[in-house]
Amino acid sequence: MLHLLKIDLKKLTSYRTFWVVCGLYFVTLAFTTASGMEFLKWLANKSSEFGASVNINRIPLYHFPDVWQNLTFISGFFKLVLAIMVVISVTNEYTYRTVRQNIIDGLSRWEFLQSKILTNVLLSFMSVAMVFIIGFVTGLIYSPSTSIQYAIQDLEFFPAYLLEVFAFLSYALMIGFLVQRSGLTIIILMLSHMIEAIIKVNLKGWAIELKPIFPMESISNLVPMPFARYAFQEIQDYVSLNSVAIALVWVFLFNYLSYLKLKRSDI
Amino acid sequence: METVLSIKGLTKNFGRLCAVNKLNLEVKRGQVFGMLGPNGSGKTTTLGMLMGVTNPTSGEFSWFGETPTHHLRKKIGAVLEHPIFYPYLSGQKNLELNALVKQCDARNIPNVLDLVELTDRRNDKYKTYSLGMKQRLAIASALLNDPTVLILDEPTNGLDPMGIAEIRELIKKIAANGKTIILASHLLDEVQKVCTHFAVLKRGNLIHTGPVNEVGQGEERVEVNAEVENLNEVLRGFSGTATVQRENGFYEVTLRENFHGKDLNRFLFDQGITASHLVTRKKSLEKHFLEILADGK
Ligand SMILES: Nc1ncnc2c1ncn2[C@@H]1O[C@H](COP(=O)(O)OP(=O)(O)OP(=O)(O)O)[C@@H](O)[C@H]1O
Ligand SMILES: [Mg+2]
Repeated sequence: MLHLLKIDLKKLTSYRTFWVVCGLYFVTLAFTTASGMEFLKWLANKSSEFGASVNINRIPLYHFPDVWQNLTFISGFFKLVLAIMVVISVTNEYTYRTVRQNIIDGLSRWEFLQSKILTNVLLSFMSVAMVFIIGFVTGLIYSPSTSIQYAIQDLEFFPAYLLEVFAFLSYALMIGFLVQRSGLTIIILMLSHMIEAIIKVNLKGWAIELKPIFPMESISNLVPMPFARYAFQEIQDYVSLNSVAIALVWVFLFNYLSYLKLKRSDI
Repeated sequence: METVLSIKGLTKNFGRLCAVNKLNLEVKRGQVFGMLGPNGSGKTTTLGMLMGVTNPTSGEFSWFGETPTHHLRKKIGAVLEHPIFYPYLSGQKNLELNALVKQCDARNIPNVLDLVELTDRRNDKYKTYSLGMKQRLAIASALLNDPTVLILDEPTNGLDPMGIAEIRELIKKIAANGKTIILASHLLDEVQKVCTHFAVLKRGNLIHTGPVNEVGQGEERVEVNAEVENLNEVLRGFSGTATVQRENGFYEVTLRENFHGKDLNRFLFDQGITASHLVTRKKSLEKHFLEILADGK
């Protein structure tokens, strides 16, 4: 297993685009998640120009345990950048035909897929680690009470966020294997949410019940939107096991379809 | 002799096109096996199936008497059609990656780079290599794990004459170590020089297989020239002559069975003619190949 991960990392770590895209991803991720208070200050400034005063200290963006859901939710938007990297990594293997040589040289098709999946796992864990560190540091800075009892609450959003990123990367991997061209794959990837939204809007009758099991929907349902709570609204401040189950099924399907495609086709 | 590769009824259809049709073939240990055939006759498709990248429509094959797995492929060094590498990696890094995939010792890399004379350029990116250098790197990669079987699909494509000669010597050297080599090539001269056995494919059908050294057997051909006006008629007058053709400024006489060059020489001498040029030629594989293709309609 580790051996397969090593193979894929060897391909990526000498690839400039990989560093550029991943650098972009982690820098923007870190910057955005850490700058929430600055954003609020800016917002307060703006609104005071209009005579309204907002006490930003009343918005516990970074207070334990709110910080966990807030940050994992925001971070979810950036997974697209990581997914684009995954697409490039797969479609390159087809444009260079190196997938063919890898198999000739003695990888099985399943092993080839595994090496890609393992990289997805690694990238997902790195995202989690990144968000956790930022959440932890900002939490320490901004929380009025840094007692451990608050800090360890709601940590379930991390497994949920991990699953969210990994599911989306699995999806990107599958589209990459199916389409094999980077441009088209990236376009499909970016339009996926929109296409799904259009389909969902047009659902009628009993089919409306199917909404939560749509792939993009179920992936984004893992970490629900938290910010409405600062407008005194009810939010779902927990991870629903239902969403987890649905997302897990999708993860399996995405990777299984990649496997079928790779297995059946001439390379 | 131990069978290295045994193919039974191997078939590949691309839609309605039958690229390989019920192929049966055996390759024994130590053979240098030439796969010949015109463009599109199914050589690469066959090799692709043997190396697990093309899914056979039907039929089977076994390496070393075992059902093929990816582990077995690690013991085979193969270059199919074009060299394939990561363009943004250097030659060295590409080989390191190959070593990881093949799970073999990376310490062999300097040796194979040396062998194909790429040591100086090993740290340059693959995409900056010339076609011949890419070919050489592909051969280096095929030799990396000291394979027991080497599969080369047009390995001298794009090499300079020196390179071709070097590859020929390399193949002979590797074969001398008892390794088995399967070589698809259009350079029949090369095949004749290095191969022990050959097979001819035509539109996916196997139309001939046998040892190379049998090619030269059968009727003898003799190139003759002499400073005589009516040499053509004289040669036709010889009882051992089957046909006479003018070729490259010589007369090429194909002899009947049991007649040899020395018989023709004696005949000419008896006629009072001294040949200024008289060479007995073995039939070239090229001629033989073209005949086989013409027959195998
Ligand atoms: N992926 C494919 N899809 C459809 N047809 C294919 C495919 N690959 C090969 N073919 C067809 O199969 C036949 C055999 O092709 P193959 O590449 O095996 O020939 P070859 O003997 O290697 O020829 P060459 O000497 O030109 O290399 C050809 O008619 C080719 O068009
Ligand atoms: Mg070919």
